[in-house]
Amino acid sequence: MTRFIVRRLLSTIPTLFVIITLSFFLIRMAPGGPFAREKKVPPEILQNLLKKYHMDEPLPQQYFRYLGDVLRFDLGPSFKYKDQTVNDLLGTTFPVSLTLGVMALAVATFLGVLVGIISALKQNKWQDYAAMSVAVLGISIPLFVVGPVLMLVFALILDWLPTSGWIGSRAGWATVVMPVMTLMLPPFAYIARMSRGSIIEVIRSDYVRTARAKGLKENVVITKHVLKGALLPVVTYLGPAFAGIVTGSVVVERIFDIPGIGKIFVQSAFNRDYTVIMGDVIVYSLILISANFIVDVLYGILDPRITYK
Amino acid sequence: MPISTKTKDNAVNEFNQYVKPVSLWADAWKRLRRNKMALMGMWIVGIYIFITFFAGLLPFFSYTDQELMHANLPPSFKPAGIVTLERLEMRKLELESAIAQTNREDLKTDLTRILLEAEQLKTEIDSNPVHKRVYILGTDSLGRDMLARTIYGGQISILIGLIGTLTAGLIGIVLGAMGGYFGGWFDNLLGRFVDIMYSLPYMLIVIIIMAMIETTNPTTKVFVLFIAIAMISWLTISRVVRGQVISIKNSEFVEAARSMGASSPRIIFRHLLPNTLTIIIVYSTLSFPSFIMNESFLSFLGLGVSAPMASWGTLVSDGVQSMQLYPWRLLVPGAAMTIFLFAMNFMGDGLRDALDPQSKNRT
Repeated sequence: MTRFIVRRLLSTIPTLFVIITLSFFLIRMAPGGPFAREKKVPPEILQNLLKKYHMDEPLPQQYFRYLGDVLRFDLGPSFKYKDQTVNDLLGTTFPVSLTLGVMALAVATFLGVLVGIISALKQNKWQDYAAMSVAVLGISIPLFVVGPVLMLVFALILDWLPTSGWIGSRAGWATVVMPVMTLMLPPFAYIARMSRGSIIEVIRSDYVRTARAKGLKENVVITKHVLKGALLPVVTYLGPAFAGIVTGSVVVERIFDIPGIGKIFVQSAFNRDYTVIMGDVIVYSLILISANFIVDVLYGILDPRITYK
Repeated sequence: MPISTKTKDNAVNEFNQYVKPVSLWADAWKRLRRNKMALMGMWIVGIYIFITFFAGLLPFFSYTDQELMHANLPPSFKPAGIVTLERLEMRKLELESAIAQTNREDLKTDLTRILLEAEQLKTEIDSNPVHKRVYILGTDSLGRDMLARTIYGGQISILIGLIGTLTAGLIGIVLGAMGGYFGGWFDNLLGRFVDIMYSLPYMLIVIIIMAMIETTNPTTKVFVLFIAIAMISWLTISRVVRGQVISIKNSEFVEAARSMGASSPRIIFRHLLPNTLTIIIVYSTLSFPSFIMNESFLSFLGLGVSAPMASWGTLVSDGVQSMQLYPWRLLVPGAAMTIFLFAMNFMGDGLRDALDPQSKNRT
């Protein structure tokens, strides 16, 4: 097990390296730069600016300098947000996005499994059809439609919830409700479908029949025997689900004006704020990589049949 | 009945009863027909595609026709002239009561302007054919018919989804089949590559690409968008095809073909791929909606299709700006898109259950 964890951790290094290299050169290949503006900067000042940010060096040298900085956990200064380093910027925005993402995933998992259980136990009854229609709807309806519609109904028409902002603002925790509801919809729908499918499969298996034959109560059979076996595929899905939530948060943070990394990401891409984009991509990749890593380890703990070589 | 008397064409089951042979497709069709939701999905998708491709021949308004007087009209079955007049009357009443309270000068000038507009409208309401138009789904900020705009947006979205699915499918099928068939270093390389691509936060990289290309030509932008999304969409299908090919490449019929001197491409394209066709169809149907979703996701962020072109994503994005005053500008394209994706997903699920019965109840 320990060997597996170490090897798995080591294998993330090349992935991260590929991501950094790819995005570094992709960003630099694009025309324009952080100092290209409508009003031309005088050449002497431009020269000084370039020198200050080491952008007068040849590209490979800049690349290796950046790699060295990253190894020391220094993501450099921002080009556009004056007097802020990328570390500062991510330090304030990352907790916001993480809170949003974790809450959305938690709600999605809880509701998804619940709906999956109900659906599977009432297979081919109206409850099942209703739940699965909702699940397909959750997969089909784009986040950028759900978000504004929720906002229109609950904030602008009914005036129950604030339109935008985050926990720190005057409205407090009420700001969380709509963003989390929006972001959790696709993973909720997938988890509901997956848990329904695997519960239906497990419920017909021999060990469940044995449990029933022993005279166990139905709810004990479901919680202790069926769910344990049926929820493994759901655990594996949590990795990709996190990836979906990361992408989705870019849109949701924009719609609800949440000060997270997703919001500054698109803005920095337009601004050519090289260091901020790179920092953002690295943080996002680290989230994905660690989510997948945790899922892999969790899978091994939950399923004793899996042995790690 | 002795077995020797049975004729060549009739299959016999284990109880020696004659059974009618049924092809895979007929069998699948039978299963599909029993699935009401999938059938409904198919009908809706069919109607969408029909309207999208024959929009030019159907009696819709042109999506570029602007009539500034008709800007932001709500959905109605009444002619545009009457709806506009009603709106002016409403505004007149509002202004009159406001003036009675505050007596502000600027409101008075507004009122005279509106009265003039109403007068002019009344004189031409019968003579000008423009006012006879009926906007059943309302108009946008430039007075363009929302129905025509939504159909046009759908044309672009569906076309992008269609071409994208075909490209991604082609790349995925060819690479997946080659990887599965030849194995060895090629398969290893492909596997590594797919693994790395999967672990990339890919949509973020697409966002970077789209934000950074500097082109004013919308066609180039759409082209780059295609390539960027197609680059990732082939991964899943290549994995699935590879797995299928590996599972059948050592079966007798492939060996027979090889012993008769068939070349590798012939074995792949004539013998292996037809056997993976059902899975390819299922995955293509299911990846089609995700393609449309990704495209409109980028368009919503202002990174995809740009004006004068429009897709469902840009229409929704336009609608969000003014949803408090003119909610139909958000709801019409949003609903059109959701219904299509909903139908598409039901159709895909139904096809999977019909063509690949073992996979039923999984996910």
